[in-house]
Amino acid sequence: MSDVQQQIKDQVTQHAVVLYMKGTPQFPQCGFSAMAIQVLQASGVKELFTVNVLENAEIRQGIKQFANWPTIPQLYIGGEFVGGSDIMREMFESGELKKVLEATKQQA
Amino acid sequence: MVTADSVKQGIAAGLECEHLEVAGDGEHFQALIVSRLFEGRNRVQRHQLVYQALGDRMREEIHALSMRTVTPQEWQAGG
Repeated sequence: MSDVQQQIKDQVTQHAVVLYMKGTPQFPQCGFSAMAIQVLQASGVKELFTVNVLENAEIRQGIKQFANWPTIPQLYIGGEFVGGSDIMREMFESGELKKVLEATKQQA
Repeated sequence: MVTADSVKQGIAAGLECEHLEVAGDGEHFQALIVSRLFEGRNRVQRHQLVYQALGDRMREEIHALSMRTVTPQEWQAGG
């Protein structure tokens, strides 16, 4: 495993909820990343670790290989890849996202 | 510029679909994809199948593809 793949693995396993995004929660720089932050906040996420891929070209490329997923944002909960913005929105609308986040909190 | 039609052709060439609709403005695309191959696969795996069908085009040409991936049964049920 390359350094960047290991670094991503560490990030997603050391934090319960991780979002790879363009920009920051305060200043998202892409509409899809902005929506991702909104649905996470609306689902009551408390501790969210975000990675701004625009500040790290290696992670920006590496994250696409990590989950075999070519787009950003990408959400990880409990070390598992959950999905991109479409999936996050679907899970938010069905209430599933909130359930998954609550289940994660109970384990912590 | 990438057209919705060419994205549609790309998906259709790499993935057997029962029904396929693609709309878009050259950068952002929205697709409804109905395929039997989605049966037994979760949402992540379904999207991965579509990304796989588009291959390098997804990385190089298409900025954003928003998609709804359903099986024929889910589609009939209005899902």
